[in-house]
This record gives sequence, C-alpha cells and structure tokens, in this order.
Amino acid sequence: MKKMIGIVGTNSDNSTNRELLKFMARHFKDVAEIEVVEIKEIPLFNKPESKEVPPLIKELAQKIEASDGVIISTPEYDHAVPASLMNALNWLSYHIYPFVDKPVMITGASYGTLGSSRAQQHLRQTLDSPELKARIMPSSEFLLSHSLQAFDDEGNLKDQIQIKKLEGLFSDFVLFSEMVKTFNQTHLLNKKEAENFSWENL
Amino acid sequence: MKLVGIVGSNAEVSYNRMLLNYMSKEFKSLVEIEVLEIADIPLFNQSKDETMSAPIQKLNQKILAADGVIIATPEHNRTIPAALKSVLEWLSFNIHPLEDKPVMIVGASYYDQGSSRAQLDLRQILDAPGVNAMVLPGNEFLLGKVKEAFDDKGNLKDNQTKKFLASTLIKFIQFVTLVNKLDEADKPKAEPEDLHATGKIATTIEDVDMSAGDWVEQAAEKVGAVEGDTYVKLNRGILTVDQINYFLSSMPMELTYADSNNQFLYYNHVSEADEMFASRTPDQVGNPLANCHPEAALKGVEWVIQELRTGATDCVRVNVPTHGPDKFVVHNYQAIHDNDGNYAGINEYILDFKPIVDWYLKQTGQTLVGDVNAVSSASKKDEADAVSSASVKG
Repeated sequence: MKKMIGIVGTNSDNSTNRELLKFMARHFKDVAEIEVVEIKEIPLFNKPESKEVPPLIKELAQKIEASDGVIISTPEYDHAVPASLMNALNWLSYHIYPFVDKPVMITGASYGTLGSSRAQQHLRQTLDSPELKARIMPSSEFLLSHSLQAFDDEGNLKDQIQIKKLEGLFSDFVLFSEMVKTFNQTHLLNKKEAENFSWENL
Repeated sequence: MKLVGIVGSNAEVSYNRMLLNYMSKEFKSLVEIEVLEIADIPLFNQSKDETMSAPIQKLNQKILAADGVIIATPEHNRTIPAALKSVLEWLSFNIHPLEDKPVMIVGASYYDQGSSRAQLDLRQILDAPGVNAMVLPGNEFLLGKVKEAFDDKGNLKDNQTKKFLASTLIKFIQFVTLVNKLDEADKPKAEPEDLHATGKIATTIEDVDMSAGDWVEQAAEKVGAVEGDTYVKLNRGILTVDQINYFLSSMPMELTYADSNNQFLYYNHVSEADEMFASRTPDQVGNPLANCHPEAALKGVEWVIQELRTGATDCVRVNVPTHGPDKFVVHNYQAIHDNDGNYAGINEYILDFKPIVDWYLKQTGQTLVGDVNAVSSASKKDEADAVSSASVKG
C-alpha cells in the first residue's frame, strides 16, 4: 500500500481543491492511503536570519519525507499559484529539503473553464527549482473546471469521464512513484546539492 | 510625476530594497520615487478579508495616488516570493489599485539571472484580469551578482549598468505619460466641486444659516458643543477645550479647516484680518467656500480641492510673493483623511518659511547659493494668483 500526502493548495476555508483531494483519498483507498494535509496555519515566510523553521513546517516536511509521493491540488489566483501555497513551498525549501526527488502529481480545480491551467504550469516550474528539485509526473494534467458544479452531495465527482481520467492518471502516478525510485542514482547527490544550495553563496 | 517603488520582499536584508532606494536617490531630479515596504502585510486569505486594514489601505492609497509603480522582485523557487504574490492577491480581491496603472519591473539576484524567471511570472500575474496593470513592454532590468553591484554608499558601481537603468527609467516615464493620456480619455471628468456646500455630510450641522455672522454660536447651541474646561478625548491624549484652543493658537502658522462638503469650519483666530497672511474674519466661519473667495478665484479653489479629493496629491503648496522680499509665505493645502482613508477636507496652513530657512542656514553654517530673487519667485505669478487668491478677502 502506497502512502501519499495530498496538499490542499490554499488557506481558504472553502475550496473545491480540498474537496477534490478528499474525494481522491476515498476513491483510491484500496490503492493508496492519501492523507490530506492543510497549509492554513503556516506563517508568512520572511527568510528569517535565524534560519529557524517553525515546528509546524518541520512536521509537514517529515510527512512528505516519509511518503511515497505527494499530490498537490492548486487553485489559480491571478494566473498563478496562490501566495499561501507558494509560501508553504518557500518554507519547505528553506534549510529542509523534503521535496528532493519526491514524486509529485499536480491537480487543480477552478470555478471557471480553465481548471487552474496556468497555476499548474507555474507550480511545475516552481517544483523544478534547485531548492525543491521534485520529480514531477510528466505530461500529466488534471484540470477540474466548473468545480462548484462538479461534485454531488456526498462529495463525489459526478462526471464518469472525469473519474476515468483521474483513475488513469492516479494509477500512472503510483507506477511513476515506483519508477522514480529506480532512477534515483543521483538522489544522494541531489539531496546534498539542494542542502548546499544557496543563492547567496553561488 | 510621482512613482512608488514596491520592495518585493519581506526579508530584513534585501538587495531589491537597496536597488529601489538607489533609484529613488540617483534619479530624483528626473522623478519622485517613494519606496514602500510589504513586510507588514498579512498573508492573503480569501476567508479572512483584511482589505480594510491599515497596511493594505495605505499601500492602496499610495498606489492609487501614484502616476506609476516600480516593482523590484527577488526570485524564490524560480518565481516571485510568496510575500509579493500575497500583496498582489490583496490588491486584486476587493480593491484594484493596479488597474490600468503603469508598472515597471526590476529585479536583483545573487547569481547571474537577475530574477529573470520571477520577472516573467510577475508579468503574467500583473496581466491577470483582477490585477490588470499596464506593464512596460520589454525593457527588462536584471541585476545579477548583486552582492558586488553596490558600493558602500548603496550606489551602483558599474557605469554601463547605471546608464542602462537610467534609459529604462526614462522609457518608463514616457510610458507613464502615454498611458495616463489614454486613461484620461476614458475617465469621467471629476465631478464639479460644490463650493456652495449645498450638499450634506454626516457632520454637517443642519438648519443653521451657513452665512450667518454668528454661525459658530448658533451651531454650537444646536449640537450642544462643549467648551471651556470640559475634557475631550483625542488620539492620543485628553485636553480641555480651552487647552485645545491654546494649543492651536500657539501654532506658528495660520490654520484653517474646511470639511469635505466645502464648508469653512474653523480657523485659529489669533490676529485681526489685516494682520494675517490670508485674511479671515470671525463671521466668515460656517460659510461655504464660495462665499469666502472672490468669484475669479473659485476655479483655483476648485482645482486645489479636486487635487486633494482625488488623491492626485496630498498637499498643494503655493508661494505668495506679495508679502515682500523679507518673507517667504507659503500656503499649504493639506488633504485631511479619516481613519478609513476617506477624504475629510482641507487643512490649510500658511506660514512664513524664511525664519526657518535662516535658522537652518545659521545652524549648519551654510549660505544660499545663487540669486535670492530667483528663489523667491519660484512659483510663477499667474499661478500664484489663481490659487493664492483662494484666501484673499472676498
């Protein structure tokens, strides 16, 4: 049984991205255990001189570290990832490096037609940065548009075609997370590079 | 032209801050740049609306009042810092000060890139429907290897870089002029000022004749105004009405308050009209502004109020040279705002700056260089007339 972490990419109380992850956790419970985690309580990153990471972030980092893969579901604010998610990622690459070589699947939901497509692209670019160095599942997008109408009263996706697509992508991701382990020849090196990485000292 | 520069980082040490401070200093003959910080702005959360909080409103007002904005962004995780993104989210949630605002992007980084990816993302974000800024096309200013870029005084060391930054800024200034011209065509003309104060605001005292010579007495009775040794709680302190009067009377300047309804409410009555820089008489208090000015001056009065009401500027200053060469009398029209940042009227303070300047010169051992006459006629005669007569006896 795979152990996955699903990160709700917003600090908003109401989020269809949260709903999507919860649906996935239930729907895929026979394949993987998906723990849905929140970023609500994370304080604003300000690059503290002390280099101290709040316990909350350390805890989240440990969960990510211990998992087989991470699913991030992002809304789109102003053509990009919400500040609250960027904030979490800023912390999660500040003297701790839980994302290095970690398999990541990106999903996203939006009220409108585009399904957070620009934010997903933005998130891909961010996760590929030298400070994060995640293994992002290639050529995979799950864009949930008109998300306010997408779920039924039990919080399940209504559209069967969408469910099929999500099932396909998720079983690919499970396989991908397994594969990533095999092409981790450079993992120790990558980890070291990320740890030693500092824009200040380049 | 007035620009604001936004430091795109909440870090204690930021080379992007240094870059903006440098620009503000180096190019001050070209343009005024006020550098603004984002460190006290909370993380955006759509479930916890803090749009009306002081730090966000302050930023909002400053941007609204500016002709253009310069954003200096670092790069975190190949994009802009969360702190800057958060600010842009606040500024595109319930308020939209960046809408149609000319924006120039600059950025500094420790390595060669000069925040190139962050700048591209920022362009894309500023173009989002809720933000809708007018970003200067092209003209990227990427300052790489920033640790070596500045000298001890915070000035850019490399002359080529300096020149390039100056040329980019000049292009931006032209862009601002252009965009603001485009905007003018769209913008509805400012509402004409109701100088006769026929309207009513929450504090207007009704059913008392504004032109009555004893308006103050009548109005005071009507609202039961306190006086004498009654205490009044202020921000921050407690004074009696007498003490407030002594205090305002001791101000070495002539003070006048006209409210946002254009009604003349107060002046610190210390001297008789003919001894004042701008004559006021006790019976004028309560009048609509139109009544205290000659007809010919009303256009100038209207212009000043509109500048302040729209936030185009916080203070209009006019030197009135007719008091003779031994004085430098300046009429300052300062916008008054309430706690929520709404326009609440004019604080007109008039004083002779010459003794202050003389004292300064004496203390610092400096002398004025150049032709003193050239300085005293700093504001042209015709301009002075239009506005200064705002307070000439009617």
